[in-house]
Amino acid sequence: MTRSKDLDTIAPDDIVISKPIPEIPSVQPKKNKIIKTKIETKEPTVIEDFNQKIHDILGHTKNPFSSFLVHPKVLKFTEQDDHEIIYLAVRPHWITNISWFFISIAMLFVPLFFGYLSFLNVFPIQYRLALVLFWYLITFIYGFEKFLSWYFDLFLITNERVVDIDFNNLLNKHFAEADISAIQDVSFSIKGILGTFFNFGTVLVQTASEKNQIIFNNVANPQKIMRLLKELRDLDEHQGEQL
Amino acid sequence: MNSFLTNNNFEFYFFGITKVFFVLFSLLYLAFALIVVKQVTSMSKSVSDKFNYILIIFSFLHLAFSVLLILIMLGL
Repeated sequence: MTRSKDLDTIAPDDIVISKPIPEIPSVQPKKNKIIKTKIETKEPTVIEDFNQKIHDILGHTKNPFSSFLVHPKVLKFTEQDDHEIIYLAVRPHWITNISWFFISIAMLFVPLFFGYLSFLNVFPIQYRLALVLFWYLITFIYGFEKFLSWYFDLFLITNERVVDIDFNNLLNKHFAEADISAIQDVSFSIKGILGTFFNFGTVLVQTASEKNQIIFNNVANPQKIMRLLKELRDLDEHQGEQL
Repeated sequence: MNSFLTNNNFEFYFFGITKVFFVLFSLLYLAFALIVVKQVTSMSKSVSDKFNYILIIFSFLHLAFSVLLILIMLGL
């Protein structure tokens, strides 16, 4: 009896452990091949499914002045990459403009009451006309500034990141972004009668980037935005796993 | 003093000073209108959209009216 046979009879378990070891290298490449073919065949369908999901969640809009723009084709921003696709562009809900709109309308009628201000009667008619023109310029710039603040207050969701662009009072620009992969948590809140009635609220995006919070105030359809971000995160995780 | 207030000099100084203030204020407003034009152009470049040209036209109209305001103030 040889030495190995002798040991086998004493400890038969050794044979069970030692037998599969040479087979491992031959099995592993086969498994890899199977995974690779699965990725190649599934990748286009995953993206197609994702686009369909986005369409189902967001629907579509055509009005360029809408506060909820799905797949805006003409909208571009300077920091946008060549291959970056904007899925959604959101502005504050249009109902948030109602206060300044009515104030502007009221301001238009103020010059009608200038005649009742006795101290203005001291001035000649040319001075009063100049004052009226000046008042209308002030009225115009008030409404225009409010409109611009709304129009350029954008929250963009692209295939790569979430972007917040904000112009305050014509003089300040604010830009914040977070990669989809850096998003940790998304929450939203709808407050008040108007918010509940017109379905707008605040979306809070917690990120792992330098600026750990991105807040979007008074945005329309916050539930849809949250669902879209969840889908994007899932897709990002799925792609990460495949890589 | 009373004679100063009652004669035509009062009107001359009062409206003269008012006019200077009006013109200075209009010049400041013109500077503001220029900033608005620059800022709207800059915003339109940052976020380009199909209808941005309308906003630029409005900002230039505002600038034109502020120039008109200065001309009116100078002509007072």
